[in-house]
Amino acid sequence: MANSRVENWAPEQLPNTHRTMRDTIFQGAPWGAALTLSAGFIVFRYGAQFGEWQYLVLLCWYLALLVAGSLWRSLQLAVPAVVIPALAAVWMYSVGQTPENSWILHYFLQGLAGAMWMCGLLLLATATYILHVWLRSEPLGRWATRLTWAGTLMGFIGLGVRWRETYIGHPSWGHIPVSNLWEVFVLFCASTSLFYLYYEQRYRARALGAFVMPLVASAVGFLIWLTFAQHMDRIEPLIPALQSFWMKLHVPMMFVGYANFTVASLVGLAYLLATRSATRGGALARAMPAPEIMDDVMYRAIAFGFLFFTTATILGAVWAAKAWGGFWSWDPKETWALIVWLNYAGYLHARVVKGWRGTSMAWWSFMSIWVVTFCFLGVNLFLSGLHSYGKL
Amino acid sequence: MEREVHVGISGEMRSPSRRRLLWQYLASMRLAVSLLVLLAIASVIGTVLRQQESYSSYAFRFGAFWFQVYRDLGVYNVYRTVWYMGIVGFLVFSTATCITRNTPRMLREILEFPVRQRESAIRAQEHFLELHSELPAPVLQDRLLFLLRNSGYRPRSESHDGRGHVAARKGKFNRVGYFLTHLAIITICGAALYNADVPVRWSEWMGTLVPETNFNMPLTSIPHSAWMPLHNPAYRGSVTLPEGDTADVVFESAGDGYLVQKLPFQIHLKSFHIKYYSTGMPRDFVSDVVLYGPKGQILKSGVVRVNHPMSYDGTEIYQSSFSDGGSLLRMRSFLLGLPAMAAGKLVGRVGQTLKAGSSGYSISLKNFKMTNVVPWSSVDGHAHPGSPVINLGPSFIYVVHTPQGEAGEFKTYMLPIHRDGQSFFVQGFRETRGAQYTYVAIPAGPHGGISLFVDYLAALQQTLSGGASPTPAVLTQVFQQVAQVDAPTMSPEKQALFIRDSMLAMTQMHDYPAPFILRLSSFHHRWAASLQVTKWPGTIVIYWGCVALVLGIFILFYLPQKKVWAELRADPEGGSRLLLGAGADRNRLEFAREFAGWREALESSSGSTSTSVTR
Repeated sequence: MANSRVENWAPEQLPNTHRTMRDTIFQGAPWGAALTLSAGFIVFRYGAQFGEWQYLVLLCWYLALLVAGSLWRSLQLAVPAVVIPALAAVWMYSVGQTPENSWILHYFLQGLAGAMWMCGLLLLATATYILHVWLRSEPLGRWATRLTWAGTLMGFIGLGVRWRETYIGHPSWGHIPVSNLWEVFVLFCASTSLFYLYYEQRYRARALGAFVMPLVASAVGFLIWLTFAQHMDRIEPLIPALQSFWMKLHVPMMFVGYANFTVASLVGLAYLLATRSATRGGALARAMPAPEIMDDVMYRAIAFGFLFFTTATILGAVWAAKAWGGFWSWDPKETWALIVWLNYAGYLHARVVKGWRGTSMAWWSFMSIWVVTFCFLGVNLFLSGLHSYGKL
Repeated sequence: MEREVHVGISGEMRSPSRRRLLWQYLASMRLAVSLLVLLAIASVIGTVLRQQESYSSYAFRFGAFWFQVYRDLGVYNVYRTVWYMGIVGFLVFSTATCITRNTPRMLREILEFPVRQRESAIRAQEHFLELHSELPAPVLQDRLLFLLRNSGYRPRSESHDGRGHVAARKGKFNRVGYFLTHLAIITICGAALYNADVPVRWSEWMGTLVPETNFNMPLTSIPHSAWMPLHNPAYRGSVTLPEGDTADVVFESAGDGYLVQKLPFQIHLKSFHIKYYSTGMPRDFVSDVVLYGPKGQILKSGVVRVNHPMSYDGTEIYQSSFSDGGSLLRMRSFLLGLPAMAAGKLVGRVGQTLKAGSSGYSISLKNFKMTNVVPWSSVDGHAHPGSPVINLGPSFIYVVHTPQGEAGEFKTYMLPIHRDGQSFFVQGFRETRGAQYTYVAIPAGPHGGISLFVDYLAALQQTLSGGASPTPAVLTQVFQQVAQVDAPTMSPEKQALFIRDSMLAMTQMHDYPAPFILRLSSFHHRWAASLQVTKWPGTIVIYWGCVALVLGIFILFYLPQKKVWAELRADPEGGSRLLLGAGADRNRLEFAREFAGWREALESSSGSTSTSVTR
């Protein structure tokens, strides 16, 4: 009797805190199938030219997209939304169209156009986020999210197409577009926005955009200056030191770290201002998510960023060992990477092990942006060393 | 370094001994965080001040007093000072203490997980709820088990004395992440110390190894005390080899001197070349290298490129830099004031010092460069969209010492540049090193070369020293006389242009510090490549340390440990009572949601409300 009541107890009543393996497989099936088909097509079409490294890279992409797409389902749309237009542009180039004779390439799909669309859309998104918090308007908030998505996608499309463009006209120049300040700033804006969107969606915390996006907007401003005053959008060949497949791993991973640290530090600022406003009964506190949520976003972003930053730094050291004969040469960039690492290692110890929370940790997270920015930008602008190719 | 929860203190409180306090302090979180932050701050110094420059440049910058203070603090080579290494060492020591201290407890935690837990311990969990239900205890227990299974746990249950006990946990191996990360740090630091040549540093410190400070000493006369043993386990040195040369040693810089490392093979540099992009930017630096064994047999041959070292038997050979390896230069020297017929001939290699006839002047050939790619704008000030750079061709740099010992540095380009229909040879000079070059553009005659200019100059000097004044008419007349011999076919327009450009060049040569001009007539280029040779047996250990570090971080943050304990008993007043306690050590916000969900489900299935506590 009692047992039958237990069996009758409908599982729908259960809280949806845990997804069973079956759920995951079932929900992830279309995504997995699409990825498998794409990978199969790539192997079928290009397999003859592949060596073991290419297979390994394909496998890594396959697994990473599979996991990321099932953890964050928006990616299942975002990935094709980037890949399809980028491939379309590559195809257009291959049939002899150029930005000079094709308006689609000229205004939308060429690398530069993609980056400029990203700049415009992200600036607009920033303004909309601020208005959203200011006016407490939900529709504006939804628009802000859409604009950020559009800007992010355009940024990644632009980078993808630019990768192809580096080969056009001078095949020996070809390289992944993370080789100069302009290219990494496009990557920084796009990836910071992307990770911000993840946290926004996961925590349903749209008001954070009013704090995170202004920093992205200032990076956009710098990027526009680089484009129009410094003409750094010009494609140039790689110096010998950078011609290595390690660059493809080291730099993008570094930017996963930078993007997450940036998000965390601005959420820290949001936390500080919101809690201050709460003690005075201000309007900001009502517009912002609960402090525990912001605290958790900060921790999550730092932990995720730390994982990638550590990996990227290690990959950089391995690259240095392979290319220059030493893991570590105390080059300013290396040293600052170590400083960033130590800083966040300290943060995570204090937060996880000591259980520190609240204002002091928000301050720590917020102030870390200076350390991160100096590592990312300051070293290249003010100090010299092995990483001097990132100069203006 | 782990959070400790003391549940119930039994026995009398003892005042901890001093040693125990020290032990606790060494393994404490506060110390670890302080050390991490201190190390970060200390590391800044070496990035703000350029490291390992010459002492004289520091002395110049800081003045005598501060130079000495900073030197004593080791600021010029921070990362190798005793105090910096001390902080790192202390951090490693503290980490090691922390591991030693926590290992037994954590191992116990991984291996043992009792189903029964004291009521006080259940109540002390981060999340706790107490629930009274009309359902009998076994039914309530079944529902709880069902709920936990549905949440992905594998609960275990026992009953004792009429009480039901349920326990479940996830992320049993979270603690493994702690071991991996902390052991990785110790391993990496240890292997790095080993790679940093500890045995050599040790013998250096003991005085059995003394760095040589004379950089011009021939290899054979370097004292034995500066040689490192052949079977040195780890080294990182470099050697500069001119094309065609062979070496079996590398040099490792140590303090303000160097040490010599004998190699188990000989490196022979067959050739070196630079590949260029179409823009003139270097694309690759390539050394063609052969390794010979001690008996002269070929061990390995191949190329060493940037990013593509050659490895042989545990040693790696890297392309590190390049320079001129003693190119052969043939030059003509035109004496200013004498006709070009009198030009002398000079032959020498880069690095040599030549005597300029019997004049007492000496010429040190400093460097030769095959190509000089410069922006167009620096040549004629105009923008050239499409081709922003121009290759000015070969150039060489030499220093001329006057008999009085005064020196001037010169830079001569071999090929002419073309500007506004006229060709020019560019000649740069400066009287102090580090100053900007002053450039003279000497117009080329119709047959090329600077003979016409030199002859014109000589004729002018002769005329003017005869008392004539330099009026335009005189200048033209003298030129026409010279041109009749040297270039009879020159048109009047070309002549006018040449005179104008010659006047300009002569004005530019006002401060020219030598009485002659050297022109490069031919050369035989010879490169030298700097190769770095390293042997690092600790590398593989570092790799595994890195793998452990990343894996450990992943486990720590993404496989959190969650524990659930419950006790169920029949209530004397009818129905049953449930005590449920749970906690997670990471992602607490998420776990709080999970726990709240359980509470809701339990309440709705048992038709009662609970009292719950969250700390």
